Amino acid sequence: MAKWDVIVIGAGNGGLSSAVTFAKAGKKVLILEKHNVPGGYATSFKRGRFEFEASLHELSSYGCVPGAGNIRKIFEELGVHEKIDWCRIPDAYRMITLSDPDKIDVTMPFGVGEYIEKMEQYVPGSRKKMEEIFALCEKLTRTGDFFGNINGIDANMIQEVFEDHMDFVRVAPYSANEVLKAAGLPKRARDIFNAYWCYLGVDCDTINAIHYLGLVDRYINYGAVCAKGRSHELSCAFQERFEELGGTIYLNSFVDKIIMENGKAVGVHVKDRDEIEYADCIVCNSSPHNAVAKMIDPKDLPEMAVRHTNARKFAGRGFTMFLGLDKSPEELGIKEHCYMIYDTANTVQQVKSMATIEGNNSQATCCLNNAVPGCSPEGTTVLYFTTLYTEDCWSKVDEKDYVKTKEYVANKMIDNFEKATGCKIRDSIEEIEIATPATYARYADAPQGTIYGYNADKWDGIVQRLLMPASDDFIPNLYFAGGYCAQGLGFGSAYTNGYQTANRIMKKQQKEAQA
Amino acid sequence: MSKRKFIVKSNVLDIANFAKMIPTRKAKLENGSAAPVPKTYPINELAKLNHPGKIALVIDDIIVHSDDVKSFIFKSADGKKLAPFRAGQYLTLQLKIGNSIVTRPYSIASTPNNAREGFYNLTIKRVPDGFVSGYILDNFKVGDEITAYSPEGTFVYEPIRDAKTVVGIAGGSGITPFLSLAGSIADGTCEANLVLLYGARTVNDLVFKKELDELNKNDKITVVYVLSDAKTRGYEKGFIDAELIKKYAPADEAYSIFLCGPKAMYEFAGKEIEKLGIRKKFVRFELFSSASKANQIPGFPMEKEGLSFKMTVVRYGTETVVDCLSNESILVALERAGIEAPARCRSGECGFCRSKLLGGEVFIPSNTDGRRIADIKFGYIHPCSTYPMSDITIRVD
Repeated sequence: MAKWDVIVIGAGNGGLSSAVTFAKAGKKVLILEKHNVPGGYATSFKRGRFEFEASLHELSSYGCVPGAGNIRKIFEELGVHEKIDWCRIPDAYRMITLSDPDKIDVTMPFGVGEYIEKMEQYVPGSRKKMEEIFALCEKLTRTGDFFGNINGIDANMIQEVFEDHMDFVRVAPYSANEVLKAAGLPKRARDIFNAYWCYLGVDCDTINAIHYLGLVDRYINYGAVCAKGRSHELSCAFQERFEELGGTIYLNSFVDKIIMENGKAVGVHVKDRDEIEYADCIVCNSSPHNAVAKMIDPKDLPEMAVRHTNARKFAGRGFTMFLGLDKSPEELGIKEHCYMIYDTANTVQQVKSMATIEGNNSQATCCLNNAVPGCSPEGTTVLYFTTLYTEDCWSKVDEKDYVKTKEYVANKMIDNFEKATGCKIRDSIEEIEIATPATYARYADAPQGTIYGYNADKWDGIVQRLLMPASDDFIPNLYFAGGYCAQGLGFGSAYTNGYQTANRIMKKQQKEAQA
Repeated sequence: MSKRKFIVKSNVLDIANFAKMIPTRKAKLENGSAAPVPKTYPINELAKLNHPGKIALVIDDIIVHSDDVKSFIFKSADGKKLAPFRAGQYLTLQLKIGNSIVTRPYSIASTPNNAREGFYNLTIKRVPDGFVSGYILDNFKVGDEITAYSPEGTFVYEPIRDAKTVVGIAGGSGITPFLSLAGSIADGTCEANLVLLYGARTVNDLVFKKELDELNKNDKITVVYVLSDAKTRGYEKGFIDAELIKKYAPADEAYSIFLCGPKAMYEFAGKEIEKLGIRKKFVRFELFSSASKANQIPGFPMEKEGLSFKMTVVRYGTETVVDCLSNESILVALERAGIEAPARCRSGECGFCRSKLLGGEVFIPSNTDGRRIADIKFGYIHPCSTYPMSDITIRVD
């Protein structure tokens, strides 16, 4: 008999939510985390008198009232919700393009009615189409939930799908732009509506319509939140809940090997203490790439595991600059929480330019003070700037040039922010920290420093992934949870995936026990 | 809600395209390459080079400055390239002394380019009554293998943040990060000007004087020696105060002050810097654990002075009970008990020793409380800057 029912490798968002889901069902669960804090990217760090948010811009699908929004439902069900001091994000986004001849500079609110109203002001005549699109969004989200909560699609469901979810079926094979064009949304409204594309890292000619429209719906319909204590508070809350439910978590415990017996995963090796822990089931919050390439002995790997893994493409590699400024947001003129600054509203062109360090001029910039008042001392401001690289261009940077390259990108981000917003920030920088793809590569052992998991290519979008939830189950008793999985990247997706993966595994185990 | 059916291409085509989705993905996955999945990528290798975690070093040479100050030249013990660092960063040595497992951070005195050439220089000064520095000075010999944590620290020059000119204030072994900075200015790695005010008691207490005199010839570097005990021609006399800073700092442009030195210097120079009315962003301190006794820390509950308690340590499912003292940090108690507790900066800042307080009372001085908001909320402490005030239980991972 194994000591544990479940071992979870990695306490990232997907690892934590799956672990709590298992523990709540009475399973004996061990989490092994290589860092001295839980959370993976969901963490914070301090510099001088500032505590920076490491990654979260805003958590979507978290409404104001109990049961509102998918993520809130999960947090409530798992008993994590009440442990967190929540702050609401005031507005959706301000989108600015730098180089488009017909420059966009719009500020969009949360709330479907408010959003449509504002869009009508910017793009007269767009109202009716926007109403239709949001009505469609709502239907799609409902169906998306349906698919997310089933174990893939089988013959018995076909009838239900075709009767109740026809719009989903029709939209599912297409990209966001194909659907928005078919809906007849004017180009400029499409450009403004597509601002969130950078949260998925895939251009709107490619990103699956269900994925993108669902994302917009989850933000605009339910608003967005973050935690007062940064995302480190979310991670600590999960850990505390996990322990209340009887779970065991070992930090500073790096799992370097998955132990296989008779073709099945039976345990893991903890490098720090050279110990083996055994479990009936292993949930890996690290990437399938890491598991297949490094953690499992090649002789134990089915060829299919290798082929599946090699077929996937990495999504955006992360770069974030964190600034602590010695002036208040009011003094600096920074009114918004979220600034989406792009070269162009043409997402295809934008993605292309983000393939190189020199070409990339896009950034999503957050002012934490405008979501969490008092998050830094009186008279100061916390800003963080994130961009993605759509190719592995940082791999060409030599060690000797590494610091200079960081500074080059940081300078560009500061200049572009000043140019786009007119807010002068350069002379007020009291603290600066920079995370590059190398930082993410180190922190989460992320291949190429990706922070977005696997690219949601046309053939590998979340619809296909959700319809094939077991497609990564290539080793018996080994499952994956988190940002590399079905729901794709992002906080909400990873939490949802962990929760759904745990439930899927338990259902499967029940079935097997009955059989 | 609209009841209208939404059609993208055509009624038939949409359904046909939906039906293709799963087979297309299945085929793509099955047709992936059968070659081994790459284990690593260049950027992941750079990350490993920059942050290798624990590293194995060997002492290649020892330079004796005096009985109380020696420079240790470390090279890689296992043939791996040394981790690059930025001038001002520190290495944390991990040592077993008697039954204790201890860590100590030391600023690197050599330059980033020296690391590329294959060595680090740590110059270590004897701390009166110090537990570790004395051991190192009296025991380290050429050929010894030493375990360290790779370089880190935020006491570095950031061109985007800092002024063009740094006024460095150094005292005692606090000269080491400035030697590295000056060296990297001289070799062109760092684009800054440095005015270094180096305080010591007498000329004989000036470590690296020869090297600094040489660096002083560089246009971008000015070295000023400030002697407190002896009036000597060609040297400033007294302590580094506001007047002296003003005398040497650029008159017509902003400058950054970087300070590294013994505790007494922080206290004195700190007040002097305040008089200058410089924005916080232009003043940076390197905080190393001060040798001060806990009972000298403002706010220490004097009624608890000198008490000894029991500490229950929960580690990976096992429990150990060890002794601890109100006057000593919890980290010191762990180390004395031979528990290999994680620790690096030892000044409350880096958070590497973060542990959960499961029960008992503690004193956490506010000036070294570097905990995150959520860690305070959920009951975590940094043992390096926390003192037991009763029997306590902590979990150390």
